[in-house]
Amino acid sequence: MKSASNLIALLALLCAQLSFAEGFKPARTVDLVVHTGPGGGSDVLARAMAVMVEKEKLLPVRLQVVNKPGGNGAVAAAHLAEKKADPNTLGLFTGVWLQTPLVSAEAKLTLRDLTPIARLVLEPAVIAVKADAPYKTLAEFIEAAKKNPGQLKQSGGSNTSRDNVVRQLLQKSTGARWAFISFPGGGERIAALLGGHVDIMVIEPEEAGEHIRAGNMRVLAQVSEKRLAKFPEAPTLKEAGFDVPVVPQVRGVVAPPGIPKENVEFWQDFFRRLTRTPSWQKYIADNQFEDGYQNAADLAKFYDEFTDRMREILKDAGIKTVR
Amino acid sequence: MEDETRKSGDLWSGVALAALGLYIIVQARQWEYLGPDGPGPGFFPFWYGAAMLGLSALLIVSHLRRVSARRSPIEWVKLGRALSTWFALAVSVALFKPLGFVISFSLLTYFIVAVMYRRPLKTAALVAVASAAGFYLVFDRALGVPLPAGVLGF
Amino acid sequence: MEIVAGLLNGFAVALEPANLLWCFVGVLLGTVVGILPGLGPPATIAMLLPLTFNMNPAGAIIMLAGIYYGAKYGGSTTSILMNVPGESASVVTCLDGYQMARKGRAGPALGIAAIASFVAGTVGVLGLMLVAPPIARFALSFSSPEYFALMSLGLALVVLLAGRSIVKALLAALVGLWIASVGTDLFSSTSRFTFGQMELLSGIDFVVVAIGVFALAEVLANMEAREETRLLPVPKGLKNLLPTMQDLKDCRFAFVNGSVIGFLVGALPGGGSTIASFLSYGLEKAVSPRREQFGTGVIEGVAAPEGANNSETGGALVPLLTLGIPGSGTTAILLAALVLWGFKPGPLFIPEHPALFWGLVASMYIGNVMLLILNLPLVPLFAQVLRMPVYVLYPLILGVSMVGVYSVSGSMFDLLLLMVFGLLGYLMRKLDYPSAPLILGLALGAGMERALRQSLMMSEGKLSILVSRPISAVMLSLAVLVLLIPMFGKLNAWRLRALEQG
Repeated sequence: MKSASNLIALLALLCAQLSFAEGFKPARTVDLVVHTGPGGGSDVLARAMAVMVEKEKLLPVRLQVVNKPGGNGAVAAAHLAEKKADPNTLGLFTGVWLQTPLVSAEAKLTLRDLTPIARLVLEPAVIAVKADAPYKTLAEFIEAAKKNPGQLKQSGGSNTSRDNVVRQLLQKSTGARWAFISFPGGGERIAALLGGHVDIMVIEPEEAGEHIRAGNMRVLAQVSEKRLAKFPEAPTLKEAGFDVPVVPQVRGVVAPPGIPKENVEFWQDFFRRLTRTPSWQKYIADNQFEDGYQNAADLAKFYDEFTDRMREILKDAGIKTVR
Repeated sequence: MEDETRKSGDLWSGVALAALGLYIIVQARQWEYLGPDGPGPGFFPFWYGAAMLGLSALLIVSHLRRVSARRSPIEWVKLGRALSTWFALAVSVALFKPLGFVISFSLLTYFIVAVMYRRPLKTAALVAVASAAGFYLVFDRALGVPLPAGVLGF
Repeated sequence: MEIVAGLLNGFAVALEPANLLWCFVGVLLGTVVGILPGLGPPATIAMLLPLTFNMNPAGAIIMLAGIYYGAKYGGSTTSILMNVPGESASVVTCLDGYQMARKGRAGPALGIAAIASFVAGTVGVLGLMLVAPPIARFALSFSSPEYFALMSLGLALVVLLAGRSIVKALLAALVGLWIASVGTDLFSSTSRFTFGQMELLSGIDFVVVAIGVFALAEVLANMEAREETRLLPVPKGLKNLLPTMQDLKDCRFAFVNGSVIGFLVGALPGGGSTIASFLSYGLEKAVSPRREQFGTGVIEGVAAPEGANNSETGGALVPLLTLGIPGSGTTAILLAALVLWGFKPGPLFIPEHPALFWGLVASMYIGNVMLLILNLPLVPLFAQVLRMPVYVLYPLILGVSMVGVYSVSGSMFDLLLLMVFGLLGYLMRKLDYPSAPLILGLALGAGMERALRQSLMMSEGKLSILVSRPISAVMLSLAVLVLLIPMFGKLNAWRLRALEQG
């Protein structure tokens, strides 16, 4: 009898340990805050994530997308800061959240003011020209740019976007100079290239895919660490001989400030599990993202390195930084 | 067709717009006018600010030159009614955070019907409650469009 | 002819019962979404995307497209009845549409909006079907100088919208340009006119300003007088609730105008339904024999912009389906939807997926017919809304305005802006400043500045690029002409007066 009750006591103790290790579990619908309106890049990813979470039954509750557009990401960041210590609110951040506080004095919150949870993906890019352009390699383009400084043109986003960062790094490393023309939307940038109004652009591999297949665009090089599966012939920047760092475009998850440690651990493990699921793997393969999972501590380190490097790059480019 | 009446409003709005134009020009000068790559952020604002300044000067001058004696007086009663409605609207928006849309809007409606239109209080209350309920049912319930919610949750 | 074969195949797909049902669901949902100010097709389509995963792609794209062009039909409803623009494309409809409602002609206004939308929408689909590839090539040849010239032409129309005082109209337009500059400069990431507010970093939403300056200002102005209880006469009898034959005759040119301009501007990646409707309105006013009456309730002033914003849908699908380039917010989401279902819109889309493309085209014809049948009988019903006593109607308009603005971004700050612009709109009315030029300046300002700076970057600082290219030279000359027309008129009047006195 005594051994039986001992066994029961032991089992009970074990169960208690297990349930304690369960620790935090979200009690209500989890909000995933994005900084774009419905249909924007982050919104699409967030909605896909919500579907995945439901399909793979990763959470006992629903994940819902909350749109807080405005302020170039500052409004979403401020919303998260307001939800202090709320473990059921998360934010899906992108590079914009990291860059806006660097150049806009009004955006007072940085990622450090929020709780980093996990980095999820890296987005590579390719450097493309119109199919009938005379450049077969990136080196040829750079040569042409050196011969005619300031006359060749690149279409891209704002001057702090990755498009311009790649250009600044290449210009600094090779001494060539060419113009950068900002367009607000991807469609306009592509139209400018295809219409022959600009000479080169940095474009996401997914966006470029069809134009390349139709023979309207050609890839000169890839902005990534390793060659992408769908672009086996195009060299990476390093392979092509350009010793420039690959400054990645990232997406990840943050939480409001003041979250207890066990919640952080729960969420970072949750997202690690998410990135291992088949639906996630398929999604990033389809979209040609790179798996860039980092846990909370590594994300915090990455953030510091990233912002320091961005600050240097922006200063070199003559762009005023406020933080 | 020329304006026969000389509205004092022209003078004040002209001055205000001239001040705005000046402010825009001053701000624009703080930004880059012409950068190495092309016009900077100060280029466009400088020009439309200058145009604003020039045109409002024109407005002021043409106002002062019109010697017609007929001036239309400011109708204070009308202005007062419009501005108090605006003020009530502003107050109701301010109340969204604590009280939520449904309650604040019903208060606003009550104010408009009872005070602005001097309808009997019962009518005002009826309209206020019915409209607010209507908004809640149509937008929040049927369409899932979130209305600003107060501490009470709706 | 392969177009005929394709179209017949397309109808075979579109007339399948399931796809017909999705078409109906889409256009119905679109109409409802369009009627509600603020909530627009992009948000609706994005929210429905997850549900479409398990549908067959033809049905899904038919439904989503139905929402897209259906919303354009519904957008005119609140514009005409309440002076509340349903979405940015419907702003221009407020100008004459609401004035017609005030005169008791809400029914004909709503009716002509539906008819013009049908005619132009169908023409837009015809264009998509027949001339998509050459139009797409034409659109690619359009670059920043051409966009600048197009926007300048649009802005020159300010002069036509002027009313009595051109100076005040120009000043209003300049204020519109200023409001358009608020935010972060795309090229240099400099914050302009943000007054330290982070919400202003992304600029001021066009819809917020339009609702404030039109709807809110209108209500405030009507609050001045207490006496009238039934302000808006609604005539009895079905005959008065629909457009008359004379009305249809008056709108002959407007139908053509709206269809062509909407389609062409829609096909430009940098174009949009707002620009299309303003240009169409301006053109209509320029050629109409009763142009001085525009702004007081002229029916062609409703038909032209409403037609334009519908054929713009067909136009916007041209770059999307022939090149994979999205032109506007909604087409960007449609692109995302197609990608999600495994299709990749691009130059090879039509040759590789003819059933999908032609099915979509055929469904758009069917959808436009459905919308006409759906909307016309609703016209007399909607017109009855105006029979409410004003003390019920005006709070309703205020409520709809606030909900509409809030539904765009869920931001209290936007409501604050609404208040500010409502007051501004009211003051402008009292001081005789026309509000349409301000809205026009706001709509065109950002695009115009961008196009100018892009042009100068492309030409390395030489302004001559604007006139050395043929298309932009022509449009800029037109803009100058448009600006000079009233000058001639005024010079003439001045000369005549001088002759009389001398």
